[in-house]
Amino acid sequence: MSNLDTKNIIELLKQGDEKTLEKIYLENREGFINFSKKYNVEEYDAVDIYQDSILVLRENAINGKIDTLQSNISTYLFAIGKYKIFHNFRVQSKLDFESDFNLVAENMDFDVNLYSSNLTKEQTLLKKYYDELGDRCKSVLNLFYYQGYNLDEIRIILNYSNKKVLKSQKSRCIKQLRNLVNKHYEEF
Amino acid sequence: MKNFDLIDRYFDNSLSPKEQLLFNDLLQNDPDFKNEFVFRKDLKKVIAASQQEDLKSTLGQFENKIQRSSRLMFLPKKWLVAASIMILASVGIYSVKSTYYPSNNAIYEMYFQSCRNTIQPVVRGENPNTIENSAFVAYEAHDYHKAINLFNSVADPDAAYINFYKALSYLEIDRSSKAIELLLPISKATNLQGKSADFSEKANWYLALAYVKNQENLKAIKELSFIVDQPSGTFKKEEATEILSYLK
Repeated sequence: MSNLDTKNIIELLKQGDEKTLEKIYLENREGFINFSKKYNVEEYDAVDIYQDSILVLRENAINGKIDTLQSNISTYLFAIGKYKIFHNFRVQSKLDFESDFNLVAENMDFDVNLYSSNLTKEQTLLKKYYDELGDRCKSVLNLFYYQGYNLDEIRIILNYSNKKVLKSQKSRCIKQLRNLVNKHYEEF
Repeated sequence: MKNFDLIDRYFDNSLSPKEQLLFNDLLQNDPDFKNEFVFRKDLKKVIAASQQEDLKSTLGQFENKIQRSSRLMFLPKKWLVAASIMILASVGIYSVKSTYYPSNNAIYEMYFQSCRNTIQPVVRGENPNTIENSAFVAYEAHDYHKAINLFNSVADPDAAYINFYKALSYLEIDRSSKAIELLLPISKATNLQGKSADFSEKANWYLALAYVKNQENLKAIKELSFIVDQPSGTFKKEEATEILSYLK
């Protein structure tokens, strides 16, 4: 796989392309489970770790952490998974993992927060109302705050006639969320 | 409100060094600004959490797909083994049987060849614009249903050569009884003339094949023997001898 392919794949991951995701998932799953067996990780746990690794992969693609990744996606995905096996299962032979750890250390945002259970009270409430927003608001906020596109890019993606309209749409969405959270915070 | 723009500039990484200083200052000294910044940072985190839930459920679907197909593969392993032995055995029996005793259908398929239209060779632009011509065009285009309809509508629908090609059209669409009905009188005729001359011999052959296809072996043997016994005829004699060896 050439670097160009890797760049394309990372771009598709940023955009949330499901076909790309499925392809990566299916291509590496068997190999990862077999690898885990060497460290006595049950298949059930291995699938769990593998899925989390895919989540981390996408998060890091979106955060721009792997924009300059030199290795291919499978190598990177495996490195994340191995790192997780090491930490979750206290594997003794750390040597096996050294090169993987270096790859991960250079290209990973360790701050990726995979579980909603880690959200604060305010954040949990905010999530509840975000999930209930209309699709238009969700798209704008998602593209801006999560996927990291700027307003000019979002205007094109969502086909807004001009940036001003988009900007006030975004402000309305935030205001709507803020009001809902403030209103319900006391009774939460 | 203008200052809140700085927050968004922070999120899309477009703060100038000067703005960065202002941003830092406001964050420390302006509670409203700080409040808004925390809210939007929370929003980012919350959207990520929501996206992760969506992705997690998508991955769950991929996993279900895999589990479903592997259940199909692994659960009835014993049955699969048994089934494949049965299939192998029956294929074996079938192939032995079909080598030494070909079925009537196999004989038919082996020997049946469409009869070329020798009456009215279809040449683009040179043919008369008649129903008969259209019928032969359809016949050559393997549109046998259409050909049968057109053969029924020609000026002289009882002519032996018309009935012959109509019969062959019926054979092509697996209606051998209908073909037999049409071929029988042609094969018995002794005084065919003009366009219909020579068709009696061909009719014998196709009639024999139609009987084979229709599982009427005795009649097929009779027709084939007739072909083989023709002292002057050469048409399909060899093939008739071969089929006779299978049927007797």
